[in-house]
Amino acid sequence: MIDVQGLKKQYGDVSAVRDVSFSVDSGDVFGLVGPNGAGKTSTLKAIAGLIEPTAGAIEVDGRKPGDTAMRKRLGFLPEESPLYEDMTPRSYLRFFADLYDVPTDRANERIERTLDRLDLDVRDRQVGDFSKGMKRKVAIARSLVNDPAVLIYDEPASGLDPLTTTTVVEFTRELANEGKTVIFSAHDLYHVESVCDRVGIMRDGELAAIGSLEDIRETFGDIEYRVYTDSKVDGAEQDGDRFVTTVGTMEGVETVQEQTRSAGGTVLDIRTRESTLEDVFLEITGGPD
Amino acid sequence: MKAKRTLRIARWETARSFGSVDRKTAVILLAIVLLLAALAPALVAVNPTPGADLYRVGVSDSHPYHDVVSQDRRLQAVDPRTSSLEEGTIDVLVTQSRVVVTETEKSQAAAGVLRESIVAYNDRLMARETDQAAAFPVTVTLSYAEQTNLVDYTGDTGQQSADGETDDSGSELGTTTDTAALQTTKTSPSGDQQTPTPTDGATDSSRTSSQESISGTETAGDSKETDTPGATTVSGGYSGRNTDDGPLSGLFGSGQAGTPSGITPPFPLESLLLAFAFLLPFNFVIQAYGSSVIAERINRRGEPLLVAPVSRGDIIIGKALPYFVGSLGITAGIAFVLGGSVRSIVAIAPIAALFIAATFVAGMLSRSYKELTFSTVTISVVLTGYAFLPAVFAEVHPIAAISPLTIVVNDLQGASVGVGTFVLGTLPATLSAGVLLALGAGLYREEDLFTRRPLPAKALDALAAPLRSRFRVGLWTALFIPFVLVAELMAVAALFVLPVSLSIPLLLAVLAIVEEVAKSLHIYAGYRRGRFKTDRSNAIVLGISSGVGFFLAEKILGITQLVGLPNLDIGRAAFGPDILGLSTIGLLFAPLLLHSVTAAISALGARESRNRYFIGLIFAALIHLAYNLVVVSSLG
Repeated sequence: MIDVQGLKKQYGDVSAVRDVSFSVDSGDVFGLVGPNGAGKTSTLKAIAGLIEPTAGAIEVDGRKPGDTAMRKRLGFLPEESPLYEDMTPRSYLRFFADLYDVPTDRANERIERTLDRLDLDVRDRQVGDFSKGMKRKVAIARSLVNDPAVLIYDEPASGLDPLTTTTVVEFTRELANEGKTVIFSAHDLYHVESVCDRVGIMRDGELAAIGSLEDIRETFGDIEYRVYTDSKVDGAEQDGDRFVTTVGTMEGVETVQEQTRSAGGTVLDIRTRESTLEDVFLEITGGPD
Repeated sequence: MKAKRTLRIARWETARSFGSVDRKTAVILLAIVLLLAALAPALVAVNPTPGADLYRVGVSDSHPYHDVVSQDRRLQAVDPRTSSLEEGTIDVLVTQSRVVVTETEKSQAAAGVLRESIVAYNDRLMARETDQAAAFPVTVTLSYAEQTNLVDYTGDTGQQSADGETDDSGSELGTTTDTAALQTTKTSPSGDQQTPTPTDGATDSSRTSSQESISGTETAGDSKETDTPGATTVSGGYSGRNTDDGPLSGLFGSGQAGTPSGITPPFPLESLLLAFAFLLPFNFVIQAYGSSVIAERINRRGEPLLVAPVSRGDIIIGKALPYFVGSLGITAGIAFVLGGSVRSIVAIAPIAALFIAATFVAGMLSRSYKELTFSTVTISVVLTGYAFLPAVFAEVHPIAAISPLTIVVNDLQGASVGVGTFVLGTLPATLSAGVLLALGAGLYREEDLFTRRPLPAKALDALAAPLRSRFRVGLWTALFIPFVLVAELMAVAALFVLPVSLSIPLLLAVLAIVEEVAKSLHIYAGYRRGRFKTDRSNAIVLGISSGVGFFLAEKILGITQLVGLPNLDIGRAAFGPDILGLSTIGLLFAPLLLHSVTAAISALGARESRNRYFIGLIFAALIHLAYNLVVVSSLG
């Protein structure tokens, strides 16, 4: 459905995207994560046809970005929610439906249904009076007025409160379940992990890792062993009325057990924990933004 | 670009723009519009021209000239029985067969106006005549009488007449014993009555400076005369100073003095008011349009439109259309109220387009509303200067032809507009608007639309964007010609009031700078944006491409010939045939060589740095100036 090969984007002397290649299958949710300036937004905009790549090839559903037929099948949500504050959600969405040649009856029905699903009841007040979350919902509704096959969402839950974020993320998952192909970027790795089928991790304009969550964990992640004891050993941390020691190997577990026994203590519990996407992300990118 | 989508965007822009105006503001705006609408007819009715009723003409109600005088706002008909020339209560006396004037300048001027008025009256009558051949054949006999002395108008008041003239008999020839006179005899083909019209003696070619009376006679077959307007006889034959040279003769080098009658009206207040009325709305419209353009850019509001299935052209034209149509609508309303025709609307359209296009570019380059305000004020001042100032001189000076508003003013005043005037007035503004839109459209993309780079940097972006080949350098140089023309016309308009010895060298310097900048600025922009290889030979090729483009496109300046601008000293310096390279084969390629060499010099500087570019530009302009001085000197 989406095929990106050797994408490069140069802004003057700055290379925003360097030789990025990936593909997204129809009906998949693909997440792009990375720190600020990693090239996520430039990549998404190039796919949407908003910016012209310096080099490389992009195809969406077999068409080049910017192609009118391709645009009709595309829903794009920018990082900001750029709305006209003096318009109501209905009038704003109807205008865009009109631009996408959606028949009036169908457009009205679609607009109402989408706003219902997004739980946005206020529909005839000027957008300028809306909260950030409400504006975001209007922007998401705009990206759906043409019933697109492909959705490109740039930070869809950026700056939203936890409740709205959950609504938006769940809604994105629902859209994918309906068969839409979704590619989006996010900072909130928990939600990426919960929604995405595949993930690409970008760093300095390059795609540092790509694959299913399992693949990435296998390649970049670790298994941790947390050994809970009733006596303190080397490297142990207080955890309530007991101590916990985190080690990365089974040999490390055995060492903790021996130290505990030598100290006259008892091993209370041993738990394993796989790396989260956030751990992998920090591992690859070297830290937070 | 699809008209359907463009109109959708235009409709949306209209709804959004009007929707954003709160009720109080809407009420205030409506009140202002209604007030202006109410004032417009009042202004017309009051007729604030100082030329109204300027001259008093003693003419009886029954005289054929009474209608002529009544229909000319500059003239006031006065009962000749209650007024006299010597008391100064009238300026001209019309008796049965003569027009009597005094030696005063005002009386002379009044006679001149009367004569013009008679010509116009006759023209109107002729225009209404369905059978244009009805007046033919006509035999006109001119006879010249030697002047013996000045007219003795003493006692020629009211029904009085000069010696040898009777008031009750129209059959008497209008010659007097004291007056040099022109006899005009017209004979109808049937030998009896002829189509009655006042005549003015337009065939008079026997002017002498000492002649002071107008008389003549017209006979129709049996020389029957009645007092019905135009029934049979009216004497013609005017002798006054200067009027045959036209109103401009004294102003532009004929060496003859003008009279107040030569300038109608004496102060172009009416033109000034009309031009002002037509320009004023644009200044409001561009504020609204500029705000709309920058609103798209601030907070990236226009981004969703860029991914919608519409082209850049749809968006740009669609968003500008309501303001353009609105401007035309307002001016059409004004034209309707003032009695203008479709010609006024057609003439005003290029100016409206130029205001909109310039504002579009300003909106694209500005980073904030503050910068936009500065830009739109600059646009208002420059374009108002370009359109308004020359139009004030409509009917007075040929320089007025450079403004589209002159066409409007002439239309409203009932004056004719030649093809040359129409083309010169509208073409530069139309082309400039088109090029500005194209430049702005080059920036209408995500990468430029939402960045907050400094205005000069974005201007360089706009200039560099279309330069994809060497050929395009020449093409864009050619496209800049309308700006060159507008700038040069403005320079002519600004400098023509100065003495020739000062204005021409200044003008030549301005021309050199304007043309060299037009040929090289985009080359500099291309180098700064990495569009060209920086080797020397490439710079020379770019310069030659630009020079050739300029040489070919500058032929458009030939349209100034259509209205006679090159007949002015300063106009000849700016647009003379030698400057255009049209005079001789030898000079045909001299401008080509000049433009190519100087553009190459600038390009060589531009490839290195900004400072080198300025140095190269100054050097090129000096060479250009020297060339201009040589050519103008050769013209004498």
